[in-house]
Amino acid sequence: MAPIVRVSKLDKYFGRLHVIQNISLDVQPREVVCLIGRSGSGKSTLLRCINFLEEPSSGSIEVDGLVVQSHGRGKEHRQLIHDVRLKTGMVFQEFNLFPHMTVLGNVIEGPVTVKGMNRAEAIALAEENLDSVGLLFKKDEYPARLSGGQKQRVAIARALTMQPRVMLFDEPTSALDPELIGEVLNVMKKVAKDGMTMLVVTHEMGFAREVADRVLVMGDGEIIEDAKPSTLFSKPKDPRTKALIDRYRTGGH
Amino acid sequence: MEKTTTPKKSQADLLVEAQQRKQNQFRMGVGATWGFLLLVLIFLFSGKTVLGFETIQLDTEFMRKNFTFIGEGLGETLLISILSISLAILLALLTALGRLSTFPPIFAVSTFYVSLIRGTPLYLQIFFFFLALPQLGIILSGLTAGVLALGLNYGAYMSETFRAALSSVGKGQREAATALGMTPLQTMRRVILPQALRFAIPPMGNDFISMTKDSALVAATGFVHEVLWRATKVGRAQFNNLEALLMAAMFYWFMTLILTFFQTRLEARLARGER
Repeated sequence: MAPIVRVSKLDKYFGRLHVIQNISLDVQPREVVCLIGRSGSGKSTLLRCINFLEEPSSGSIEVDGLVVQSHGRGKEHRQLIHDVRLKTGMVFQEFNLFPHMTVLGNVIEGPVTVKGMNRAEAIALAEENLDSVGLLFKKDEYPARLSGGQKQRVAIARALTMQPRVMLFDEPTSALDPELIGEVLNVMKKVAKDGMTMLVVTHEMGFAREVADRVLVMGDGEIIEDAKPSTLFSKPKDPRTKALIDRYRTGGH
Repeated sequence: MEKTTTPKKSQADLLVEAQQRKQNQFRMGVGATWGFLLLVLIFLFSGKTVLGFETIQLDTEFMRKNFTFIGEGLGETLLISILSISLAILLALLTALGRLSTFPPIFAVSTFYVSLIRGTPLYLQIFFFFLALPQLGIILSGLTAGVLALGLNYGAYMSETFRAALSSVGKGQREAATALGMTPLQTMRRVILPQALRFAIPPMGNDFISMTKDSALVAATGFVHEVLWRATKVGRAQFNNLEALLMAAMFYWFMTLILTFFQTRLEARLARGER
């Protein structure tokens, strides 16, 4: 099967800092891939390069057949990036809901403004997705009135309503109080079960172990390990992976 | 389920009440002092002699006769202010956006404009439009010259407010919009501006209130019949400048009080709104 996401020879520099070092990566359709690693290992940057929130320094990104080179210029290149963004939904650590719009307003904003979908159709789709994250009853509330967990579930519904091919999660539970993490992870499990391709940057080892098809461990801008969770968690090869897993096992963050 | 009715007030209720009492006392104290100061001011101009202290005698006949003439200038004052603030908001917004631009010429035009305007007096700018431009064959009416000068001047100052408001919207908002596939223009229009404007409304109200007074400078052109122009006209003609200017001052003050009242309510409403 052809991969739905292909990262080829990707490099990213922040000034002189080489945060992504020649990474190549394939993700198959319906695969759930968790990216773990210490902070500063480049996992978020890698994720953000896929929808060009960060411009890669070199290499290329392919999403669902669209190939975008890092050094493209001009209208065609911008159009390609735009198309890639339409195929990828993104969920942020800080939710980033639009505070001046209601929950429903947040969820229909993309389809209506970006895709030009008619309002009624967008609302129907939005309500369906809000229902599946369990928050249809909050549709007329403003984000300020929601808990962190609820905000993140709305953010997931917002991304899903764009009907992406791939979902990118950038530490979706890291800003949440511990008791609110579960509800977000449950929604994510549901999305995975529905067959969505997912790339998840996370510190939730339990989630990685239970839901991921593959776990990538990042360290110093490289993928240092790429394995099934069962293998990775029982027999880590790299000492850095072992240290990482041990730290979470003992409850440290 | 058991219903608890508390006949006695709880400790918290008592504390809240005590606090409210304190607040009310403060407000009443402030109100009473304002009233007293106002009475002193009125007394100073009453013309009565009390305890050998002689106060200022005003020509009430003149004041009665010219009250409406000066007061009618409020319409013109408000008209100039509204036209100028509209121009200023437009310029301020464009300038603020320009200052966020990564395209050097646009950034330069914005900073150049702000620097030029802030580096010269408003009074000079008004004269420039009214007196200097005719030399180049551009003849503007007093009103147009005034509105252009006030608008350009306030636009430069207000652009700082707008810039602060725009940068108060977190970068996560831009990223979320971008990730949804919005173009920079859509992001600005749908996500950044609505949030920034809300932040900018209170300072914009302040600027408007202050502009209603600065609009008096336009009287210098001699062709805009706003409050101050009218006051100086009748005051000079009949050598009643004291009365005329006092009346003008009262009109400005009264207008400011009303505008401030609305401004305070608007701010309270915005503070209550969803954020």
